[in-house]
Amino acid sequence: MKLEDKIEDVFAYTEERCLWQFYSRTWDREENIEGVVNQAIALLSGKPGNREKPMDRLHYADAKIMVDDLRERYTWVNEANEPEIREVMEGLKKRLVDTTITRSTNRELTHHLY
Amino acid sequence: MPMVLLNCDKDIPERQKHIYLKAPDEDTRDYLPLSNAATIPGTLSERGCAFCGAKLVIGGVLKDTIQMIHGPLGCAYDTWHTKRYPTDNGHFNMKYVWSTDMKESHIVFGGEKRLEKSMHEAFDEMPEIKRMIVYTTCPTALIGDDIKAVAKKVMKDRPDVDVFTVDCPGFSGVSQSKGHHVLNIGWINEKVDTLEKEITSEYTMNFIGDFNIQGDTQLLQTYWDRLGIQVISHFTGNGTYDDLRCMHQAKLNVVNCARSSGYIANELKKRYGIPRLDIDSWGFSYMAEGIRKICAFFGIEERGEKLIAEEEAKWKPKLDWYKERLKGTKMAIWTGGPRLWHWTKSVEDDLGIHVVAMSSKFGHEEDFEKVIARGKEGTYYIDDGNELEFFEIIDLIKPDVIFTGPRVGELVKKLHIPYVNGHGYHNGPYMGFEGFVNLARDTYNAVYNPLRHLAGVDIRDNAQTTPIILREAA
Repeated sequence: MKLEDKIEDVFAYTEERCLWQFYSRTWDREENIEGVVNQAIALLSGKPGNREKPMDRLHYADAKIMVDDLRERYTWVNEANEPEIREVMEGLKKRLVDTTITRSTNRELTHHLY
Repeated sequence: MPMVLLNCDKDIPERQKHIYLKAPDEDTRDYLPLSNAATIPGTLSERGCAFCGAKLVIGGVLKDTIQMIHGPLGCAYDTWHTKRYPTDNGHFNMKYVWSTDMKESHIVFGGEKRLEKSMHEAFDEMPEIKRMIVYTTCPTALIGDDIKAVAKKVMKDRPDVDVFTVDCPGFSGVSQSKGHHVLNIGWINEKVDTLEKEITSEYTMNFIGDFNIQGDTQLLQTYWDRLGIQVISHFTGNGTYDDLRCMHQAKLNVVNCARSSGYIANELKKRYGIPRLDIDSWGFSYMAEGIRKICAFFGIEERGEKLIAEEEAKWKPKLDWYKERLKGTKMAIWTGGPRLWHWTKSVEDDLGIHVVAMSSKFGHEEDFEKVIARGKEGTYYIDDGNELEFFEIIDLIKPDVIFTGPRVGELVKKLHIPYVNGHGYHNGPYMGFEGFVNLARDTYNAVYNPLRHLAGVDIRDNAQTTPIILREAA
């Protein structure tokens, strides 16, 4: 299975299930994409995840459900090693940033107030 | 597929920017309906006003607060009793309505004295009530009545009362969405962090953007009680004024309706560092996911799994009974905004229903990003739809049931298409596990109701035969 297809798998899942990619402003979306996907990489690599600060626990909670679902939906997730997981998930980050921030036509994303 | 110009819109081609038909290999980078924009002249909008967004949706839900509406009577009556949000103290908010009943002479000579008198009268009549929200309306805003100054004077005269003012006349925004925003930001600026409540659990949260429609909040509260989570405040279902002053004490903000209430969750995060967790409370799969996320945040996963197992054991067989009979049903959702993206996948996953058209009255582009990401190809996504567009869309997609409000619902009933009240519900609650079975039951009753077929028969025509009603036996 090609890398692009694996990225497409996790992107399709994220589109369907994950509200955290669509928070109100650019900086919220960047923070969530970075925080949740990094926690997911750790969990998919067999690490415990970071639950130190409140925002870490938030991203951990979103990532935990994501990881459980990805393992259930896609068999390749359970067979991938850590470098492969990281490559796919970094690809997901780029795709999410492009879709929800860089090329989003949402006119409210950069408003300095909520 | 580009944006769609319907036949009925040929004289107002600007509407094309607001209607999208999803096609394969497209996403929101390609097409995103323009929304939260001024209604186009020539189209008859279904929208409410900004004052309505503040009063009817958020403030009027509170169970211990006088809602003083500074304006003509109609502004009060038309935002009272049109949503069903009960309370556990005898439905105080639904029993009473308050207005300064502004007449021509008050408009000419100013209404501040009348407002002050009305506030005192209301507090005198209800001595057990010590909290009030005062709303300005179009005419009192236009004549420049200073409701904040009057509120300060009344609070000085009555030290035991607390008053919040919402300066949000109907004309101040393009839809009710503006009212949500004004109330959210006003509340965090003026009232949050003005009171402390007793903390009884190490797990504390605010539940934001749930308005106890037919008992939603009260149903979900049974879950939080079983999980040992203290809800500091409900914004605002079955909620109290003073609990909302303590929102800064929570460790987590759980957000259901991000459109009406996302602003205060964002501000609580910015000012107090309280994380914002968005969940969907409608649907088995989503509700379980939301509970799992909340429990993962607090590190009480086992409690969450136990709760989910108990609820699914109790309600899943009932849900499956309806799913067997509803799969393949074509649904349209024409509501405010967030219920489009809350419901499109949950009815598909949990009930096998296919959502074929969705229209939002006050959603923003963020809402369309969410719903297009979740929704199916071949489905219409409409911002600020009007009646003629609804009729044309019905011809195009032929829905079996429409979730919408009573006004549009009465229209579609005349076409013998059943509707379920997507705002105030038919027989809720609809949230949570039990609630989604209620939604399934109301959908089933609507789709299989023989009356709508019989209503299409003209009994004056002897040659016309009664249609065969295909009704699944229970």
